[in-house]
Amino acid sequence: MPSGERKVVVRDLHKHYGDVHAARGVSFEILDGEIFGLLGPNGSGKTTTLECIIGLREPDGGAIEVCGVDARRHPQDVKQKIGAALQTTSLQDKITPREALTLFGSFYRRKSAAGDMLERFALGPKADAPFDTLSGGQRQRLALALAFVNRPELVFLDEPTTGLDPQSRRDLHAEVVRMKQDGHTVLLTTHYIEEAEHLCDRIGVIDHGRIIATGTPRELIARSTARQSVSLTTTPALRAEDVAPVTGVEDVVWEGDRVRFTTAEATRSVASLMTVIEARGVSITELQVRKATLEDVFIELTGSALRD
Amino acid sequence: MDALLQQTAISLRLHYRNKMALLYSYLFPLVFLLAFYVLYRDESLVLARHMGELLTVGILGGACFGLPTTMVSERERGVWRRYRLAPVSTAGLVTSTVVARYTILVSAGLLQLAAALALGMPFPRHPAQLLAAFTFVSFAFIGLGLVMAMMADNVPAVQALGQCIFLPMLIIGGIAVPLASLPDWAQHVSAFFPGRYAVQAVQACVIGAGLASVRFDLLALTIIGAAGCVAGAMMFRWDAQQRFAARGHTGWILVPLAAWVTVGALAELSHRAGTTASDRTLARDARADRSLPAATGQPAPTARPPAAVPREILPMTPTAPPSETPRASPSLRSPAAPSGDTAPRPQAPSGGVRLQPDGRGTAPARGDEPVGRGRAAGAEPAPRPAPPPAVPQPIAPTWQRVARSDIDRDLTFERLPSDQGIVAPIAPADEEPPPDVIQQLDAITAALPHWPPARVPDAVQRARNMLYVAAVPDVLQTELERFAPAVVFEQLQHDIPKDDLIKVLYWIALHPMDGDDTAIEQLPALGFESRAVDVEQTRERVALYAVKLLGRLLGAIRAR
Repeated sequence: MPSGERKVVVRDLHKHYGDVHAARGVSFEILDGEIFGLLGPNGSGKTTTLECIIGLREPDGGAIEVCGVDARRHPQDVKQKIGAALQTTSLQDKITPREALTLFGSFYRRKSAAGDMLERFALGPKADAPFDTLSGGQRQRLALALAFVNRPELVFLDEPTTGLDPQSRRDLHAEVVRMKQDGHTVLLTTHYIEEAEHLCDRIGVIDHGRIIATGTPRELIARSTARQSVSLTTTPALRAEDVAPVTGVEDVVWEGDRVRFTTAEATRSVASLMTVIEARGVSITELQVRKATLEDVFIELTGSALRD
Repeated sequence: MDALLQQTAISLRLHYRNKMALLYSYLFPLVFLLAFYVLYRDESLVLARHMGELLTVGILGGACFGLPTTMVSERERGVWRRYRLAPVSTAGLVTSTVVARYTILVSAGLLQLAAALALGMPFPRHPAQLLAAFTFVSFAFIGLGLVMAMMADNVPAVQALGQCIFLPMLIIGGIAVPLASLPDWAQHVSAFFPGRYAVQAVQACVIGAGLASVRFDLLALTIIGAAGCVAGAMMFRWDAQQRFAARGHTGWILVPLAAWVTVGALAELSHRAGTTASDRTLARDARADRSLPAATGQPAPTARPPAAVPREILPMTPTAPPSETPRASPSLRSPAAPSGDTAPRPQAPSGGVRLQPDGRGTAPARGDEPVGRGRAAGAEPAPRPAPPPAVPQPIAPTWQRVARSDIDRDLTFERLPSDQGIVAPIAPADEEPPPDVIQQLDAITAALPHWPPARVPDAVQRARNMLYVAAVPDVLQTELERFAPAVVFEQLQHDIPKDDLIKVLYWIALHPMDGDDTAIEQLPALGFESRAVDVEQTRERVALYAVKLLGRLLGAIRAR
C-alpha cells in the first residue's frame, strides 16, 4: 500500500515534436507502492510523458525525479532502478527468451536469474524458442519478464494490454494485481477506462498534453458534476406532460415506452417521479437509476469519449 | 564488461543463425576466390598476387553491406529501442556490434586464406603483419559502414548506398580492376577511395616487404576509419523514428568526406596517386594472364629459384657437393622448380648471364624455357639444347676464395638485359637526369656513405644493401631507376677494394636469395618513398646489377 514516499515527481514537463506540443506542462506524482494510471485518448501525450520519464526521449523542459534521482541529468542511474515494457517489444528474430533475459540481465547491477524469470512469467516451454515463433501473449510476457529482470523499484507499462486477446489481457491484469500485492510501484498508461478503474489506485487523466485531473477512481467520480441517469418503463406508458414537471429532469429521451432522463439530484427526482406514477395509476415494469461512471467523468473532463 | 561480452556473443550467435548472413559473410568471399582460381588455375601465384584484392572485397562486403544492414534492420524493428530502456550506452552498443563484425571479418578472411593455401598459394611472407593490415582495412571499412548505417533510414536505403560505394570502389577504386589498367584520371580518383590503400596494405604483407613499406596506406586507412567512427558516433540514432535528414546532425557527414579528400590530396601532393609499381606489375600480370593464362610472368614469391639471372646462373649448382656450399641459398637447393610460374616478366629480356658449365660449352643449364620468353619481342634466340651431363663443379666455399676461373666458368655477360630496357636499366653516363632526380641523387650520394646498412661489417651484405638502392627504384620503376645504379656503383667501388668487389659481386650473383633484406625497409632514410616492393623480385634485380657492375669491372661490358 502507498507509504507516502514519492517515487516519481514530474513537474511542468514539456515536449515538442516539430509544431506539435505533445506535453504542455505535465505535472503529477506517484507514491511508493501505488499503481498509478495515466488515462487518456490516443494522442493525448501519455506515451510521450512516459517516454520522457524512462529516458527514451529528451524533454524540452520541466523536472523529472525518479526514485530520488534527477532523471534528466542521470538517466542511466534511473534506468538501473526501473523496468519498462513498451506497447510492443521487438527483439531479433532468432534470439531466445533465455538469451534475451541473460543479455538484459547483464546490463544491470542487480539482476534476477533468467531461469527464475522464465518460470515466473510462464515462459519455460518457450525458453529456447526463437523470438519470431512466440505468440503475441508470449511476447508480452517476455516484455514483462525483461522489465522485471533487474528487480526494479518502479515498473512502467505503456498500454500493456493493447492488441492482446481477452485471455492474455486477463493474465496481464492478474500480473499487475500481483505486482501490487508484492508492493511494486507501477505506472501504466492506458486508454481503457475499465482497466484503469479496475487496476489503479490513482489515475491521472491526461488530454492535449496536460493532466486535467488526478485522484482515486472513486474521488474522481465523487468530485465530478456528472449527472446520474434514470430510465423508466410503465404500463401503460407515461406521456411527455407527465414527466415534464418531475423535479430536476433534463435531457428527456423517449425510446418507445421507455423514458430516459438525467438529473443532478437522483433521490429527489425519483421521489417526484413516484408521485406522478401514483397519480396516473400506472404500474412500473422497469426502473433504473445509474450513478456517474469514470467514463462519464472522462467525457465531462475531456469533452470526448474514449474508444477502444 | 559482462554486458559487452554478452552483447558481442549474442551478436555473433545471431549472425551464425542467419543463413543469409552466413552466405554473405563466408560463401561470397570464397566464391570470389574460387572464381579467381578457376579462371587462372594453372597459376598458383595469381592467388598470392591478388590476395590483397580478394581479402579487401570480403572486408568491403562485410563492413559496407553486412554491418549497416544488421544495424539498420535492428534499429528499424525497434530492437535498439528496447536496449535503450536498459542502461546500455551508445558506445557499448556500437563497440559490441563492431567487435562482433570484426570477428566475423577475421574468421571469413582466415577461411579465404586457408582456401587459397589449400589451392596452392604460398604462405604469406608476413603473417602477423597481415593480421595487422587486415585490422587497419577492417577499421577503415567498418567506419564507413557505421556512417552508412546512420545515414540509411531503412534496409533498402543501405543497399542503395552500399552500391553507390561498392561499385565505384571496385571499378575505379583499385580493387577489382588494377590501377594501371585504368585511365589516368581514374587513377587519380582512386587515390580518394580507401580501396587501393586497403589492397596495397594487405598485398605488402602477402608477398611484399611488409607493413613498413606501406606506411602511407596505413595512415590513409586510419584517417578514413577514424573519421567514419567519429561521424558514425555523432550521427548515432537509437530509433527508426528519428529520421536521418530530420535530425540536424547531417553535417557530420562532412567529416568522412573531408577524410577522403584529405587522403586523396596527401596522395596527390606526395605523387602517390598515379600508378604505383606494384600496380603496374599487377596490371602487367593481368595482361599476361589474358594472353597466356599459363603464366603470370612473375617470379615466385617464395623459395623458388628467382627469375632471370639467378635462374640462368644457378642451375649447375646442384651438382656441387653440399659440403662445399655451406651457405647454399634456398634457390640452390631447389633448382628444379617448374618454369611456368617462375618465368620472367614477359617484357623482360631474358637474363644475359648464362652459365657455361664446366667452363666449356655455352649451353644453358636448363632446357625449359621460361614461358614468357616466347613473347619477348620475337628477338630471342632459338630454344636452347638440354643441359649437358652434370659434372661436379666445386663452388668456392666462401666469397674470399672465389677465383677468376669461377667467374669465367659460371658467368657470361653477353646476354644481360639491355641497359636501355625495363629490367635493370642504367642510363648512359652522359645523360643528364631531370632536375628533381638530380636533387634526389645528390641526397642519396650524400647519405649513402653514412647509411647504416652501407656500413655493416660483412662486405657481401654491405654490397647487397647498397645494390638495393639501385634495385628498388628499378622494381618500382621510379624516375630514379636509370640513374641510381651509377651512384651505387661508385660508392661500391669506393668502399670495397676492386679485387674484393669482384668476388663479392660474383658471390651475390650466385646467391641472390641469401643474406638479409631488411635494408629495403631502411631506404626511406635515403629519401625513398616507403612503398611495397616484391622482395624476391628486388633480390633478382640486385643480382642483375651485381653482374652488370662485375662486367664493367672486368672490362667485359663497356660502360657507355
